[in-house]
Formats: sequence, C-alpha cells, structure tokens
Amino acid sequence: MTDSPFFEIRDLDFSWDAGREGRPALSIASLALGEGQRVALVGPNGSGKTSLLKLLNGLTVPRGGSILFEGETAWSSAPLRKRSVYLHQHPFLLAGTVSYNVGFGCGRLGLGRAEREDRITRSLARLGLAGFGRRRHRALSGGEAQRVALARALATGADILLLDEPTASADRESAALIARVLGEEAERGATIVIATHETALAGGFANRTIRLEAGTIVEDTGTTE
Amino acid sequence: MNEAFSLLLSGDPETWAIVGRSLRFSFFSTILSLAPGLALGAWLARRDDRGRRFVAAIVGALTAMPTVVIGLFVYGFLSRSGPLGFFGLLYTPAAVVVGQILLALPIVASLVWSGLSRIDPRFHETVKTLGASGLARLGATAREGAPVLAGAVVAAFGRVTGEVGVAMMLGGNIRFTTRTMTTAIALDASKGEFDRAVSLGIALLVIALLVNFGVHALRPRNDR
Repeated sequence: MTDSPFFEIRDLDFSWDAGREGRPALSIASLALGEGQRVALVGPNGSGKTSLLKLLNGLTVPRGGSILFEGETAWSSAPLRKRSVYLHQHPFLLAGTVSYNVGFGCGRLGLGRAEREDRITRSLARLGLAGFGRRRHRALSGGEAQRVALARALATGADILLLDEPTASADRESAALIARVLGEEAERGATIVIATHETALAGGFANRTIRLEAGTIVEDTGTTE
Repeated sequence: MNEAFSLLLSGDPETWAIVGRSLRFSFFSTILSLAPGLALGAWLARRDDRGRRFVAAIVGALTAMPTVVIGLFVYGFLSRSGPLGFFGLLYTPAAVVVGQILLALPIVASLVWSGLSRIDPRFHETVKTLGASGLARLGATAREGAPVLAGAVVAAFGRVTGEVGVAMMLGGNIRFTTRTMTTAIALDASKGEFDRAVSLGIALLVIALLVNFGVHALRPRNDR
C-alpha cells in the first residue's frame, strides 16, 4: 500500500446543469486521495457526495478543472475503468437473474466459464447470498438488491470501491455484513471511498473523513493512521 | 353470418389463401423494417439535439400517416414513368412489401426510441462502471429493451396487417397474387358478397385481437 496521491483534483467545478449557469454542485480547489485510503464522505443531502464519487469513477465530466488518476484524466483513463467501480445508493440490477448480474461484473476479466462460475459463487457467498443465483432481479428486497450489487462490484476484481450509501436499504444484519466485507477489502489494500450518513460505518473502518457542505469541503481529517 | 363462419371453418381454399398471403406480406415487411427501424430508434435515443428532434417529429408524423398517402408516394416511384419504374415492381407482392416496410419502419423506430429513452439512467452508469465492452453493453441494452422491441414488432405487424391503402394502390388487388384480407373485404363488400367479406373480417379481427394481446403481454412492466 502506498500513500501517493493517485487521485488528484484541481480547481474542480461541476454542475448537473449542462450549461455554465447555476450554482455548482461541487467546487473543490484541491484534493488528493492516496492509494489504499479508506475515505468517508459525510455531509447533508445535496452536499455533493454522489457527484464526487461519480467524478472519481469517470462517469461524469466536470465543466471546469481536472481530476487525475495516476496522472491521467479520470473520465478517459482505461486503468481507472479497469480498477474502479461505483455503486449507486439505490443500485440498478440488470434485467435477469442474480447470477447474470454478478457474472456481468466479471465480464471485463475475460475469465473462462468455470472460473467465472466460481467467482460468482464466491462473491454471492461473501454477501450471504448463497443459493440466490437463480432468483430474478425483481424478486429481491431492497437490502438483497444492495448486497447483490456489492457482490457484482466485488466480482469485477476492482481495488477502488466508490460506494454511495452502501447500507442505505439494508437492515441491521445486512449492514453489519456489508461493513465486514468492506473491512476485508480494506485489509487487502483496496482504496475505498464511501458516501455515508452512518457514523458507525464511517467510524468503523475509515481512516480519513471529508465533510462536504453545499458542494465544498468544509473539513478534511487527513489520514488518521 | 353462418355462411361466413362456414367459409372459415370448412377451410375454403381461396379464403385461407388470402389470409396466408396477408400474413406473409406482413411478416416480411415487419422483419425487413426491423434493422433500419432499430437503428433509427437507437440513433434518436442517443442524444437530444435539434436535428434529432426534427427527425423524431417526421418519424412521429409518419406513424399516423394515412396508408393511401404512403401508397400514393411509393406508387409515384414504382409506376412505369417513375424513377424506379424500370424494376417493374408495381402490382407485385414485392411492391406491397416495400410499401408496408415504409408503414412499419416509423412504428418500430418510434417505439424503440421511446423505449430506449425511458431506460433508467442508472443502467448506462452501471454498465459503464462495470467496464462492459461494446458488445456486452449492446447485449445488456438489448436484454433491457427486449419487451420494448417485442412490443414494437407486434405493433408494426398489426399496423401492416390491417392496412388497405398500400396493398390496394401498390398490389392492385390481383386475385391469387396480391389480394390481401383488407383489399378482398373491400372488393367483396362492393360486389355484395358479404359472406366472404365477413369471414375475412372475422379472421382480421382475431388477428387484431391476438396482436393486441401480444402488445399487452410484452408491455414493459413498471415494477423494476
């Protein structure tokens, strides 16, 4: 694990409006995230947490400034696409079975059939979903869907996890399971950025907390370990 | 009415030949309209700009265009003195299929466009963040839009099966060659031969009902 700023944000100006008018959803003069950091993004609704996660994943493009991943522009960086995955607060499951969804996550790894099946089974088991493979996406509760989406994200082999309220729809038991799995990912050196309102989740494994308000950073604890 | 039913139930060869021909024309025109209709619908759904909105307005207008107008338009091209007259297609099954493709295409394009535009934005972000290749993304989109596509096919098939203008103007209602259910109904009714007209009307009604059941069965559900 290194502490080099492989994510680097400079003079970021982002708005969900296509034009240049209107209040920016996010405005960050400077921010660096190191590899292996476990960052909790906290702040009220609308403070820019989701926008920041999507920008870090290269899913959206800012209207000004830059986001660099290992020196490359984030939204066009192939290594970032390969190494990172973003999880929605209300995850979207593709039409099909749970296995199809988790298998879709392995697609980019170019695995053989047996390896792929093995990976699906292991990912589901980690999230307490053994035996769920043949269930349709519509037949899942909110908490189960969230765990399936996390299993799908983990199946990609990504070591940069950008998670938006990963326990939002989960009951206490599921939330504890998700927290445990994220702890395991952190231990193996994954970089994890979580937007959360759950202070327990934030405090449980994060070694850095960034507080956002109205699209700006108002507090950054820096790495605490 | 009894006579009409008995024409159908007794397997009257000419009546059933007309039904079969109509379905054949509709099948080919629907199938052949799929590729261009899908491509056009997908293109329209990709982005929202002024050029696409203009094309979308034309496609929308074409879905409601009276079939005789389409028939007249194609007639102008296929008639002996028209720019495509040298093909000698007028009053052949091919001419009917060409005209019906022009009827089906805007329906397919418009339904595909509207279906793809309604796909949850999280879908696109999800396949992107999971690093799906172009092919995997296309497969996932087809899977996600399958009910929409199936509904478009059924609706297009229904439109061409029930039309009369194109079949009459471009096919000429020639017995054993281009006579379809709708043109035969028009002819038989004008000749006072109501039994055949009613029997074909019943067949058309059954097909229309089946098509509509198909549309409802394949309509995208809102429970995702």
